[in-house]
Amino acid sequence: MGEDASVIGKRIPKIDSIYLATGEAKFLDDTHLPGMLYGKVLRSPHPHARILRIDTKRAAQLPGVKAIITADDTTKIKFCHLPITPNKMVLEDDRVRFVGEEVAAVAAIDEEIAREATELIQVDYEPLPAVFDPEEAMKIGAPQLYEDCPNNIASHFTRQFGDIEKGWREADQIFEDRFTCPPVVACTMEPHGCVASYDASGNLSIWTTTQNPYNTQKALSGILKMPMHHIRVLNTFVGGAYGNKSVILPMEPIAAFLSQKAQKPVKLVNERWEEFIATRTRYAMVISLKTGIKKDGSITAREARVVTNNGAHNNKGPGITLLTCNRIGNLYRIPNSRTEAWVVYTNNQYGDALRGWGGPQAHFAVESQMDIMADALNMDPLEIRLKNANQPGDTTAWGWKMTSCGFSECLQEAAKSCQWPLKRTQKGFRGIGIASVIHTGGGSMGTHGGGNFSEVSLKMNIDATVSVLTGDSEIGQGSDTIIAQIVAEELGIPLGNVKVTSRDTDVTPVSMGTWGSRVTFIGGNAARMAAAEALRKLFLVASKMLEVTEGDLAARNGKIYIKNSPNPVLTVAQVAFESIVKRGQTITSKATYFPPNTSPPDLKTGYGNYCPTYAFGAHVAEVEVDVETGKVKVLQITAVHDIGRALNPLLLEGQVDGGVAMGIGYALLEKLQWKDGFTLNPSFCTYKIVNAPEMPPIQTMFIETIDPHGPFGAKGIGEPTTIPTAPAIANAIAHAIGVRIKDLPITPDKILQALKEKERK
Amino acid sequence: MLVDLIRQDLGLTGTKKGCGTGDCGSCTIILDGSAVKSCLILAVEVDGSEILTIEGLQSGGKLHPLQEAFIQYGAIQCGFCSPGMMMSAKAFLDQCPKPTEEEVKMALSGNLCRCTGYRKIIEAILAVAQKENPLSALTKESPSKKG
Repeated sequence: MGEDASVIGKRIPKIDSIYLATGEAKFLDDTHLPGMLYGKVLRSPHPHARILRIDTKRAAQLPGVKAIITADDTTKIKFCHLPITPNKMVLEDDRVRFVGEEVAAVAAIDEEIAREATELIQVDYEPLPAVFDPEEAMKIGAPQLYEDCPNNIASHFTRQFGDIEKGWREADQIFEDRFTCPPVVACTMEPHGCVASYDASGNLSIWTTTQNPYNTQKALSGILKMPMHHIRVLNTFVGGAYGNKSVILPMEPIAAFLSQKAQKPVKLVNERWEEFIATRTRYAMVISLKTGIKKDGSITAREARVVTNNGAHNNKGPGITLLTCNRIGNLYRIPNSRTEAWVVYTNNQYGDALRGWGGPQAHFAVESQMDIMADALNMDPLEIRLKNANQPGDTTAWGWKMTSCGFSECLQEAAKSCQWPLKRTQKGFRGIGIASVIHTGGGSMGTHGGGNFSEVSLKMNIDATVSVLTGDSEIGQGSDTIIAQIVAEELGIPLGNVKVTSRDTDVTPVSMGTWGSRVTFIGGNAARMAAAEALRKLFLVASKMLEVTEGDLAARNGKIYIKNSPNPVLTVAQVAFESIVKRGQTITSKATYFPPNTSPPDLKTGYGNYCPTYAFGAHVAEVEVDVETGKVKVLQITAVHDIGRALNPLLLEGQVDGGVAMGIGYALLEKLQWKDGFTLNPSFCTYKIVNAPEMPPIQTMFIETIDPHGPFGAKGIGEPTTIPTAPAIANAIAHAIGVRIKDLPITPDKILQALKEKERK
Repeated sequence: MLVDLIRQDLGLTGTKKGCGTGDCGSCTIILDGSAVKSCLILAVEVDGSEILTIEGLQSGGKLHPLQEAFIQYGAIQCGFCSPGMMMSAKAFLDQCPKPTEEEVKMALSGNLCRCTGYRKIIEAILAVAQKENPLSALTKESPSKKG
């Protein structure tokens, strides 16, 4: 298609925006079923306690209460996203391990009554000693969360590639630094919610805010002990997810159990404080990083020791920590690396993915230390990065194979478009800093045995319009639009002819859903293959109608041409009509994409190429620091990303803007303030995210490297956009005032403290 | 609360409820010409007042210029904050038809968005104030380079 592309590369608004602009779009809480009840959850007020007795009698007597459930009303099946020791129950029966943990639930005729009823449930607890800091929790004698888990270590692993001792010997200098990353929350504007409803024969329909319906179906099947085909998972419009809504919360099974007991549909929606204390955080980590480097700036060895705060239960802790380690080992050409990680239980809420799967944590450490080293070697931070940047054709020590790779171009373009050399020499309290990113550009084979596939099916109607079904979820990022563009392009029909339906397990194809910046690449490839198959069927009939060979035909904008001739000979609609109505040959197709160039990592060593492509980028942050107050003002962010091919720059820019905003929050504002297991800031009033006045200008640029496996050369963008922002800001602050903060978020008090210490020296 | 009256009793679910404490702005509506957070107002307080929600923004089957601009400028991602954003923007532009970028940003300071970084929202509002043709957003040069 190349230069003929008619809808690829265009600035096309999201095809569902009209519903969202008019208020017509139905989100979860806009769903209402006849007879529907409202659920509320009773949560633990203790960080660690034994449950001695639960008395629901008074609550049951409250008029309007229709069902109350405790663990005894559930299957007590323990669940976990990864195939590692599951230890979370829908409702806990003998012990609670964090403040906010689910203990009982009520369904009533309205929310107020349900809330009042939870307050009438009496629970007797025996408080137990608790531990909150993962490094404390690892010590001998620390309170234990699980009897079978000594020192609270949920997972411990090492990964070693190359010869680390040789790497240290070759180094001229060795740097050691310790970085800490805080727990932060997704803050989706729409809170998590669900509506569960059973029909007469026991089939469950559940509407949820998930970004991964099949994941939800599988998890519910296990917990509810129901076969999957009896469970239908549907999405309403999803009000933001960012990777944080791909795994069920206890709320979905709770709503189902309540609905079973009350024999009515039940809606459960988190209140905002519950979003802060009882959804899952981006994992807090402590990363000790040691890097050996030669005088010329080339890295010889890198070692990391990572301690992850797993929180009270297993979910994705080991998987995400492994990805933190592999970012540390794969960003830049690192011949010798060793990472060792401990994933540790504490009496805090537990974690999950949040835009970057361990990438933000890894990059904050690595990219901060790159500047520390550049400073010591008297090198330009840009130069040290270019010196070590991954290149096309590289295979890293971990086995990652770089196909398309515009890493160096990203760095150079970012520096060029913000007058890097000039601004590096500026005086005063202004600073400029750069940071890079490596991330998957299309999901991953999974660290714990998961696959990476998507399916798309489509049918053409007799008027040349197309109905497309995709198994991946539109969650606001625009994936339905990208799928529609790809189908329209491949079939040579106008975009307006394509309708995309996603998010219904009874209807849409099996796919792995939305995560890992994968839908454009994996779902997009499936869409392209399905459209190509439909086009083949179309051309077969057209060739008979025209008495030419199929290879002579081309389709463009709804019309069919003989190649190299300017005038159309048929419309796609004429051929569709002929094929479907006159010949009884429907034009339907389906395709599954499973990347051919990946394999799961080796079970023992972790070696392997498990991502089908890698996405690169560089952010430059310019800041001004008020040394009187410690306040940092971000003046500008320049964001350059290697996206393979820009299928839709309007949507790509939107991803960058949102990722940068989240990254600024991670750098400067966001942290769940935990004290003795309690969250001190469970509201937008006390947990600040970036608002409009704080948003700086952003210069965005895309490097098109045309990935050999990407649909039309494209690769993913969602997560890479947020990863380099925080370290770029940290580096800009260090440049501005000469102090290095290694502990996120970089708040005014930390800056003032560091300035004071600098003065003392 | 007014937000519950609007959403549940009147069935106008275009107005969203994101926090219930007046912090996120998703429930913003226009009450007698001013943008207010409907989760902070008792329903009984508004007896006799004129209320405009997102459902009333378009007229005669035609989108309001703000709605048109939000779509064309890519100001909508998940869209949960969009109705509140547009109501804040409308009340603001009614009072301040020729704003600067800084004034637009301040006008949106009570409306949170986690998807867009606000930038395209601000662009869309400025375009409406400047009466730009919303389709001009689609012909902007794309910042791409061949790698």
